[in-house]
Amino acid sequence: MEKMCEKIMELLVDYADGELPAGQANETAEHLQTCEHCRNTLKALQKSLSLAEAVWKEGLTEIEAIRIQPPVKAGKVHWARCAAIAAGILIVITSSIIWHPFTKPAEKEMTFAQIERNISAEGNAARLLAAADMLTKYPDAEPILRQQYRYIVETYPQTQAAANAKLKMK
Amino acid sequence: MDGAKTDSAENKNQTVSERPSESSFIDIFLAESGRLKRIIAGMGLGTFDAEDVLQNVSIKAAGKIEKCQDSAQAVRWLIKVTVNLCLMEHRRQKRFSSKTPEIVESQSQDKVLPKGTDEDAIEAEELEIVRETLRGLDSSLLGPVVLRYFCEINSKEVGEILNLNPSTVRSRLREGRMILAKRLLERGIER
Repeated sequence: MEKMCEKIMELLVDYADGELPAGQANETAEHLQTCEHCRNTLKALQKSLSLAEAVWKEGLTEIEAIRIQPPVKAGKVHWARCAAIAAGILIVITSSIIWHPFTKPAEKEMTFAQIERNISAEGNAARLLAAADMLTKYPDAEPILRQQYRYIVETYPQTQAAANAKLKMK
Repeated sequence: MDGAKTDSAENKNQTVSERPSESSFIDIFLAESGRLKRIIAGMGLGTFDAEDVLQNVSIKAAGKIEKCQDSAQAVRWLIKVTVNLCLMEHRRQKRFSSKTPEIVESQSQDKVLPKGTDEDAIEAEELEIVRETLRGLDSSLLGPVVLRYFCEINSKEVGEILNLNPSTVRSRLREGRMILAKRLLERGIER
């Protein structure tokens, strides 16, 4: 290879890419007119690049079809927002604790039937107590009297008559 | 002459500095996915490997929580990550093919040339030579060649992406181009 060819070979890629300064580009162009070897190399440079592009494009058609689902972005932690949410939760819990006794459901009201039963029990117990009191005039009847009082206390324990009977037994 | 392939490529739409500022990395990744796919195709990766590379790049981009002030720099970062992942894959494939030359050889022998004119046959053979040469090209040369000639990024930006100075980029481009041209000439194909 001639010395000039060696020099031109070093410039040939830049010449093909159009990146040579005007002076060197002219010098190269002049040499190419007379040197077939360098001309062939230039052709091969151009040809190989166009073939490489064909190879790359061939691969690209398949790759272009790829659809990538980007991962969910790891967002910035908003401390102010987190603190506000935490404070809100704390307020709800605290207020529910404070208001719990006030919001406790009222004791269950007595039904009409229960009232009726209580009145009936009070009446029966009072009647029995009155009957027992009549026996107090007779000292021999004391065992019967005690038995009567015990019956009232055991049968109608919630009544006023039962409370009185208990006192009288003592 | 390849005048069209001059560094005037920086005037094209794909210039890296045209993205709006204050975008997140993942937004830029989505906007630049076409260019990244081009790089991956240039590196000779198959569909599955390409998918892996894109997924990895998107994960790395999503990992960058902070907003990027300089979107051009973010694009360069994305390209760099993509090129590095591709080159890793390229090297792996080269190791594989160097260990099993007989398999590769038999595969190329099995290939049937397309039926048609002599021109078609020569074209197919030339394509195969270039494909093979690109596959065997050293990764230090492949990166600059793909970025410069397939992604049309100018030499200065290629240097910034690959952390090389412009003169090194130019010398690597010259070396890569000459290897491709000489392989064609060695096979006696001169048209």
